[in-house]
Amino acid sequence: MPIHDPGYRTWQGCTAPLATRWMVIAETGIRRAWLSSWLRRMMFFAWLPACVMGFMVFLYEQTSANDPNAGRTMLGLSRMLIDPGSSASSSFTDIQTALERRDQSPESERHLFWSALLTTLFRRSQPFILIPMLGIIVPPLISQDFRSRAFLLYFSRPITSLHYILGKAACVMFFLASITLAPALLLFTAAVLLSPSLSVLASTWDLSLRILAASLAIMIPCTCLSLMLSSLASESRYASFAWFAIWIFGELAWRTAARSAAVGSNVVVSCLSLFRVFSDVTAWILDPRLVMDDIQTRLMLLAALSAVSLAVLFRRVSAPLQV
Amino acid sequence: MSPLIELQGLTKDYGSFRALCNINLQILPGCTGLLGPNGAGKSTLIKVLLGLVRASAGNGVVLGLPLGTHSAGIRSRVGYMPEDDCYIHGLSGIETMQMAARLNGIPATEAIRRSHEILDFCGTGQERYRAVETYSTGMRQKLRFAMAIVHDPELLILDEPTSGLDPQERVAMLNRIRILTRDFHKTILLCTHILPDVQAVCTRVVILAAGQVRVSESLELLSQLPSPAIFVHFTGSAERFQTALRQQQLSSQLQAPQQLQIPGTAEEHSSIIWQAAAAAECTIRSLLPSRNSLEQIFLDTVRQVQHAHS
Repeated sequence: MPIHDPGYRTWQGCTAPLATRWMVIAETGIRRAWLSSWLRRMMFFAWLPACVMGFMVFLYEQTSANDPNAGRTMLGLSRMLIDPGSSASSSFTDIQTALERRDQSPESERHLFWSALLTTLFRRSQPFILIPMLGIIVPPLISQDFRSRAFLLYFSRPITSLHYILGKAACVMFFLASITLAPALLLFTAAVLLSPSLSVLASTWDLSLRILAASLAIMIPCTCLSLMLSSLASESRYASFAWFAIWIFGELAWRTAARSAAVGSNVVVSCLSLFRVFSDVTAWILDPRLVMDDIQTRLMLLAALSAVSLAVLFRRVSAPLQV
Repeated sequence: MSPLIELQGLTKDYGSFRALCNINLQILPGCTGLLGPNGAGKSTLIKVLLGLVRASAGNGVVLGLPLGTHSAGIRSRVGYMPEDDCYIHGLSGIETMQMAARLNGIPATEAIRRSHEILDFCGTGQERYRAVETYSTGMRQKLRFAMAIVHDPELLILDEPTSGLDPQERVAMLNRIRILTRDFHKTILLCTHILPDVQAVCTRVVILAAGQVRVSESLELLSQLPSPAIFVHFTGSAERFQTALRQQQLSSQLQAPQQLQIPGTAEEHSSIIWQAAAAAECTIRSLLPSRNSLEQIFLDTVRQVQHAHS
């Protein structure tokens, strides 16, 4: 019994608008997920590549053609890190040529270098954090509500299935944005600040929009797919298993099919692996010089995946109320 | 008194199964008991009232808002305590309360204050800081009740609020319901199988059977017998007491070892009964107008429905 118990009291305050109620679900989901020490560790590792690339931008801007040590460091890092599929990879075979080209046409070379770094970030480092991270945080989001019958607690209040899904999706997107959009934008900002003057924005402004587009291309399908899997099971471990299986078996299937050179070039075969699809689409968005065959098929696949996942998700979330 | 819930010809079909059939019902302010055997359609009726499922036919008004088109508006003014053991995994009691308050639109800081206040009212101590999944059934029951009233609703729908509670907690829960009705003029729809709970707190009763409203009346009227009688609770020999009453030209019926029912009113026969008790060396513990028990009313209604179906 509290020292001062006022008993029951009426409440007549102003209520928040209905349209903002989903934020409560999102905020609760984020706070719950953040309790996981694994998630916090992953978040730390997710920011390391962006920090290394920030250092590379620093070297690129500060290295002069007559500084062989700095030049060698940058060349080594570039060879090691920059995605071999990007259009800039060929620029770093010889540091002398690379620096000469930079000094001759700084604007186009800078754009090329930054987009190569961003492509590398999106294709080679972040997916390896993204997949296990979503595998940890998303499966319990809806499946645990199924198991503990929390739907009655949510839907007996003035919220709809749409608010519920929006809240859960916002929670997933927050973590996805914090490992894709946020480090990439911060890298871009750091690159602008490290460059000789702010006038570089005139030639590189499009990269910020490309970062946003590439992040959305990853975030929307991944959110829809992972939430759908969570809604299909009342045991979160089954949803986790399905999530990892889609990525691992997809990649294995692609590798098996790609061994045959004739089949490997087929775009339909490359769609077997979600990893490849995301990789190709983000590279296409971030690297304007990259030529990619039949990108429409991959974009359509991602759109269809998102639409089907959303439809299933809505059906599953509305189902407990109909019985 | 204008009704807070008014239903007209409400029907709900699940495929070929008719869960609710032409429900015409008015719920007046105060505490109303919603009774019915399993499968009578109570849960479906609650879901329709909350706008969670759409009625197949008919219409209704809850708190002045039409059903079907104003579900969010209705739910923001109604508190619902589900019967199912439901909770939000991974949250403590106080976090669950805050979330419930904020989902109802209470601002964040105010939600914390209000949550603590309501948990105090519900007798939840330091266990509010523990994860909900570690709670006992009774503690979860109290938390669900607290969640239902956190936004100060005008209408409360309580589904089995006392099931799973120990006797002490049950009395405390009924007291809270009484306080909300008596002091704060909340309208409560109490859905339960525990008939003494209904008798303890409700003024009206609705009995639902086979998807139809069979009884909707005040408990006072329902309890009245067709002809007046006196209920006597006493200590001593029932045989001697009945013999003494017979000598005074009064017939009596033994209902329980120490309980008699005597036809007539207390004004007419009380002095004779006291004399007979003194003659039989019995002590009268209570002398009250005899009433129909709710259990009897409920069983009679259900039997009538079963007869009609067979």
